[in-house]
Amino acid sequence: MWFYEKKTQYPINIKKPDPRMAMNILTQYGGPNGELAASLRYLSQRFSMPTKETKAILNDIGTEELAHLEMIGTMVHQLMDKVPPKELEKLHVDTLYAVHGRAVYPSDSNGVPFTAAYIESMEDPIANLNENLAAEQKARATYDYLIRMADDPDVIDPLRFLREREVVHYQRFGEALRIVQEVMGKKKFY
Amino acid sequence: MDEQTTLLEQIMAYDFALYDLQLFLDTHPSDANALRDYKMALEQSENLRRQYQAKYGPLTPRYLPNTTCWQWINDPWPWDPKGGMNNVVL
Repeated sequence: MWFYEKKTQYPINIKKPDPRMAMNILTQYGGPNGELAASLRYLSQRFSMPTKETKAILNDIGTEELAHLEMIGTMVHQLMDKVPPKELEKLHVDTLYAVHGRAVYPSDSNGVPFTAAYIESMEDPIANLNENLAAEQKARATYDYLIRMADDPDVIDPLRFLREREVVHYQRFGEALRIVQEVMGKKKFY
Repeated sequence: MDEQTTLLEQIMAYDFALYDLQLFLDTHPSDANALRDYKMALEQSENLRRQYQAKYGPLTPRYLPNTTCWQWINDPWPWDPKGGMNNVVL
């Protein structure tokens, strides 16, 4: 069971709207390597984790990803807020505006809606944890691309924080994989 | 029912009441009756929560009774049958 806290995990205060950057960052909301996919992936996989350590890490990273989803949504909202539609047209962000206005909708940067086909959840914990290692690297690479495109420090700073969290999660999933392999090594399971 | 389950079910009942009142208060922020009920349930929940965690360990990671071990991860998790690890076939 969850409780909401009225704060973001890391401060976000974007003063200058930038609808192009909003559209780019949107993929981390509802895209293939985004925070929604990450959260649903880990929170679904936790049910088939075999040890207390791995249940805990999937539960807790899956929870943190929801906080990251909120951070990305906040960034997209602040970057799009109150930008006149004519301005959006000039910046070629008008196709998203035509469908959703300036709302935050879970899609990738091209407007492709979120799908659970982005994630996997198998009974086999080794398969799950290897998927998660790859997922964290793909998300880290996406943040690299976004940071390279951004020039406002108010945008770069939270993106750098989120990138760093991908690296930490990768580390923890590596440890989780080692724990599961040790436990399975003690049992004949084939 | 054992004492732990009884205590947990009491906490769950008060916490559900709190959540339901929360939703009501979101759209009726100055309803005196709802505010009074919320306060009563909040005190009950906090009190039961204190008792539960002292006896049976953390309900959230923001409870650290001692600095010798991280009890947060301990089985069973809410989706486990009571045995935790013993029920998982590897």
